[in-house]
Amino acid sequence: MAELFFFIAGIGAVAGAIGVVVLRNPLFSVLALVSHLLCLALLFLLLRAEFIAAAQVIIYAGAVMVLYVFVVSYVGGADEVIPLTGGGRAQRLLAVAFGGAIFAELAIAVLGTGLKALSGEGAPYSPGPQAFGTPAYIGRLLLTDFLLPFEVATFLLLIAAVGAVTLARRRRGLESGEPLLARPAIDYSRPGFTGTMAEAVGGRRALTAPDPDEPRAGDERPERVPS
Amino acid sequence: MTPPFADVVYFEPWWMQIAKAVVLFALGLQIVPLVLLYERKLLGRFQNRYGPNRVGPYGLAQPLADILKLLAKEQFRPRTSTGFLFVLAPVLSILTAAATFAIIPFSDTVDIFGTKTGLYGVDVSIGPLFLFAFGAIAFYGIMLGGYASGSKYSFLGSMRAAAQLISYEVAQGLAIVGVVITTGSLSLVDIAEHQAGMWFIVPQFAGFLIFLTASFAETNRIPFDLTEADGELVGGYNTEYGGGRFASYYFAEYLNVVVVAGITTTLFLGGWNLPAGLDPPHWVDPFVVLFKMFLIVTLFIWVRATLPRLRYDQLMSFGWKILLPLATLNVLATAIIVVVAD
Repeated sequence: MAELFFFIAGIGAVAGAIGVVVLRNPLFSVLALVSHLLCLALLFLLLRAEFIAAAQVIIYAGAVMVLYVFVVSYVGGADEVIPLTGGGRAQRLLAVAFGGAIFAELAIAVLGTGLKALSGEGAPYSPGPQAFGTPAYIGRLLLTDFLLPFEVATFLLLIAAVGAVTLARRRRGLESGEPLLARPAIDYSRPGFTGTMAEAVGGRRALTAPDPDEPRAGDERPERVPS
Repeated sequence: MTPPFADVVYFEPWWMQIAKAVVLFALGLQIVPLVLLYERKLLGRFQNRYGPNRVGPYGLAQPLADILKLLAKEQFRPRTSTGFLFVLAPVLSILTAAATFAIIPFSDTVDIFGTKTGLYGVDVSIGPLFLFAFGAIAFYGIMLGGYASGSKYSFLGSMRAAAQLISYEVAQGLAIVGVVITTGSLSLVDIAEHQAGMWFIVPQFAGFLIFLTASFAETNRIPFDLTEADGELVGGYNTEYGGGRFASYYFAEYLNVVVVAGITTTLFLGGWNLPAGLDPPHWVDPFVVLFKMFLIVTLFIWVRATLPRLRYDQLMSFGWKILLPLATLNVLATAIIVVVAD
């Protein structure tokens, strides 16, 4: 049973990762990444790391990727296709070089640990609150052996949060003296009955029918000064 | 030799696991129509009218008629929709809602036909995190449904849902940390057993209120039903859905209410424990849990009949500026008390 799930999750993870790169629609790419992360969580579950699996789903699939979906569906439309070509010759060479470097690095890491793990027997499973992979075990590790990396990571996140707030603040809204509505939300100056259902069905002509050649009342209104 | 991937070990035989899954699924499937009917009846009473009373005795067959009507409807989809996502989204919603129903413990292990059986779907070692993990996936059901519909109202509804669910999930998660710290375990069965003396609603009253409030937002109930504000968005993320797909969204929504009621019962209302030292036989326990869930569902309906909908900025500032700091304070205070008391 475990082997079956391992192959389902493994194939799913690889397919998801390929999908992120290959799919042209940004939203589908994000969804492929989500499925990849869910498959990774399943792999963690097979390794008896239930807490890590849940954290993976909650934090990555549930919080980080939600933000991605949020941004992509607001900004990048479904019809928008990112072209593969583009960029100078130097940029392409650099891309290949960086890709190769990351591949070599990952290959060394995976092969190194994988070959070592082949001769091992995996993490022993023992029930209990302090066993490998339980929240208590991970919490103790984070607050003893890995305290410094843990604190550095939290500090990094804090910097990111402060930076986001600073960047958001820079784009100022209204000046303090400016009234909330620089122009009325409803344009009272337009001729009566324009834009009403009565006009649309031809029941009533607008009180002063606008001449299509002349500029309409709304056009000469000064634009609001961008702040 | 220990296998590299450990097989998940249950103490029950395989046939009991299947029986449990079937019983739990049937239970969830039966509770939701009852909750639907109860809500409509109770809302009717709150609003000085009868509520449904034409189909069957006392209108009891009303949910059946509703479901039949929805299933008999035509399956349509807008021309602008994204095909497979449009179909997948309601399935995701109902799947995750049904999966979370599995972790509500109705009692401890009991003997059934001489077999030791836990009266719960599964007692996961990560307990409430299981709920949040599936909640995170359920979010995609709403989000993709709104996006794939290709409609402005659906899209706006799903965007609101995105912001709302993220905001309140944090407070909801932090609110239960106090319970977890006091118990020293994430297992829901352990948490329920720990409340044999005193229910967590007493020492963790602040946590209870925060959890309940955030749960209203997580299940999109009034006063936090901005994702489907009828007055502004037609119907929110499910505007373009009809027939069976709409039924599954609707079903998932009410199943989520039932699940939240069950989790609140387990975390704060003592699970199957009775007050005043009453210790009935084990077969009473599931009914105790169901009765407490019934009380919470009543509260949900009562609030729906009482409160108006919040404005969007009020929703956001309430979640981030009031609920989250309160939940954090609650965690801090609980942690200090637990350490000092040890």
